Amino acid sequence: MIKHLSIGLGDARLAVQAVLDATRPSDGPVAVSVVDGDGNPIYQVRQDGALSVDVRNAERKAYSAAYIGRDTSMWRLQILHDGRTVADWANAQLTTIHGGWTLRRASQVIGGLGVSGAGDEDRDEQLALKGAEAAAQLAVDEWRTKRDPRPIRERSAVRT
Amino acid sequence: MGGPIPSVPLMFQQPRLGLSEAERARDAILAALTSTDSPIALAIADEHGVPILLVRQDGAPARMLSRARAKAYTAANLGLDTVTFRDQHVNAKQRTLNDWGDLQITTLQGGLAVKLGGNVIGGIAMSGNTTMRDEALALIGLRAMALPS
Repeated sequence: MIKHLSIGLGDARLAVQAVLDATRPSDGPVAVSVVDGDGNPIYQVRQDGALSVDVRNAERKAYSAAYIGRDTSMWRLQILHDGRTVADWANAQLTTIHGGWTLRRASQVIGGLGVSGAGDEDRDEQLALKGAEAAAQLAVDEWRTKRDPRPIRERSAVRT
Repeated sequence: MGGPIPSVPLMFQQPRLGLSEAERARDAILAALTSTDSPIALAIADEHGVPILLVRQDGAPARMLSRARAKAYTAANLGLDTVTFRDQHVNAKQRTLNDWGDLQITTLQGGLAVKLGGNVIGGIAMSGNTTMRDEALALIGLRAMALPS
């Protein structure tokens, strides 16, 4: 059996809240989506006034980041370099619009986070990064609570 | 051309379901869950069926959120609770969903139309348990929105 990690609802809600907390008055109302490692939504919100196209694109950005395993802006650079287009993947849910971040833990893709509506795609990406950073911080906090507090030399069986 | 701008109203306003109402419904539903409930999925949509809030608890299969979204979309677009749509518009008239020509609509129980002053402003739907339990939980959420009657 393999062990498959996935972001849970609790972490997803905290990541979305980190995005909403980072918005400024100059930002447009946003939609934020968090999906699992397969691209299926876990938690998604739409601020008052966000357009339906923002809802659609936040989800597509999150899906793309999780499904491809790359942030959408990085994936765009890669396929431009390779001379390809999104159409090569034959998947209408995929997008290279900036604002989708891949969420990882223990080298595994555990989900994706997408933002749309702030005003331009690069601002969407900045906000999505706040959510991805919050999710990463949760992993760090979890690791700190589980790690052996002793110094390394006291933990090593070789150096006794 | 270039005459005075007519004074007749050119636009109309309509109330819309906001994120704060959706969050109140979310909190009430999550608080109402018991240990006998399976992990749930919740969808709250605007009057066009576009999601405002989606929630999938840990352990709930992805199809549960797909079903909840379809129920909320149906309730919002048709202005009917999905069980009413099933019983009075599909079953009673011996129709099938093909008559509506919309692949997103469903007759699964558990979707409620959100109304304000007689106008449909959205849909709320649950999935994950029996369809009757889904509807009961959706009703808890609908009431928690505290919309004026």
